[in-house]
Amino acid sequence: MEQPNQLISEMQQGSHAAFSELYTMYSKAIYGVICTFIRDENLAEEVLQDVFVKVWKNATSYNPNKGRFYTWLLNIARNTSIDMTRSKAFKNSAKNLTTENFVDIMAGHDTLSKRTDAIGIKKYIDALKPVCIQIIELLYFKGYTQAETAEELNSPLGTIKSRARNCIGDLRKVLLSNK
Amino acid sequence: MTEEEIIASGLLELYVTGSLSAEEIQEVESAMTKYPSVKKEVAKIEASLLHLSETVGGEVSPEVWPRISQKTNNVRSMETPKRNWNALTGWAAAILFFGGLVYLLKQNSDLNGTLRKVRTQNVVINEQSEKAQIQLAEATDLLEVVRSNNFKAIQLPGNVAVAPTAYATVYYNSDEQIAYIDAKGLPKPPKGKVYQVWSLIMDPLTPRSIGLLDASQGNTMEFYKVENVPTPEAFGITLEPEGGSEQPTLSQLYTLGTVTP
Repeated sequence: MEQPNQLISEMQQGSHAAFSELYTMYSKAIYGVICTFIRDENLAEEVLQDVFVKVWKNATSYNPNKGRFYTWLLNIARNTSIDMTRSKAFKNSAKNLTTENFVDIMAGHDTLSKRTDAIGIKKYIDALKPVCIQIIELLYFKGYTQAETAEELNSPLGTIKSRARNCIGDLRKVLLSNK
Repeated sequence: MTEEEIIASGLLELYVTGSLSAEEIQEVESAMTKYPSVKKEVAKIEASLLHLSETVGGEVSPEVWPRISQKTNNVRSMETPKRNWNALTGWAAAILFFGGLVYLLKQNSDLNGTLRKVRTQNVVINEQSEKAQIQLAEATDLLEVVRSNNFKAIQLPGNVAVAPTAYATVYYNSDEQIAYIDAKGLPKPPKGKVYQVWSLIMDPLTPRSIGLLDASQGNTMEFYKVENVPTPEAFGITLEPEGGSEQPTLSQLYTLGTVTP
């Protein structure tokens, strides 16, 4: 998928219609990222709302020459989620006591019941090696730097890039087989 | 690095997840502009990660967007206003209607103006016509007088000493003691002066005023009618101060003519 630069530019110039289309394109993926931080559905939706309000208000701060639009969205989503995990509402929510990675969440009962693509999820779970689950969790969902990831995994810094390449390669095979 | 090396390095994956330093981002971006294959690879990596997280979260509640929309609409003034074509059409129709109304009102006012003018002209023409008819009637009457056997025409030549070119004619009906004085040949009296007509008995000289030739009393043809004129031997016309005099000012005797028996 090529980045929808036209829509992004229109939103930056104030088009609410373009903003609405971008929400349709990206909200589901961003919601998934938020869910790896916050298990409570209502709080996760609240964060999603906050993220897109920030996107609208700060739209002009996105610079297409300094990274992908989706990467910019990811950063806002991670930061807003982390802010929420420090809030009173989050600490009072019983669901947030267990820490899980994205695979546990995908396989979780409450989320499975809402989803129709159970076979697709199974494919992801089967295809990813435990180390890949960890590296994707840290780099992609949690937004760790290479150094932080290397430290967390007790791996040499130089191996992170190639592992990321291989693990995301596995992901892409799953996506191709889904089609 | 060649494009293959960049693709194989893992840099592109970390570019999408946002784990690169500013320098490395710069490196990837310049490779993307240089090599379409690198750009394509980035798009594929992004699509796979996007799909993965869509699978993680599942469906988003449809209640979220309306809340965002409500919070973001009109937040930024840059938003281009949506045109309300219905309202615009309505306004356009109203303006056209109003313009038409003003045009018709103006037309109506113009026509009324013309009508008023024409009516005034009509009145003027009617007056002129009436005046002409009156003049014609007067002239006809006078013609009757002049032609009549009952009236005698008496020429009053100008007094050489005072007004050699002046003249007047008196048409006199001795039976009815009526006289018509034709003052056409008299010069216009100066301001503050008036012509006075006298009937004269010669021996002894007894002037008797029979009337003033008051322009307002006479008609448009300077033809004056005087009544109760005693049978005279002569008629004279003098210039007198306004209002007339008891006795004629003989130094201002303009015309004098005797009645031939």
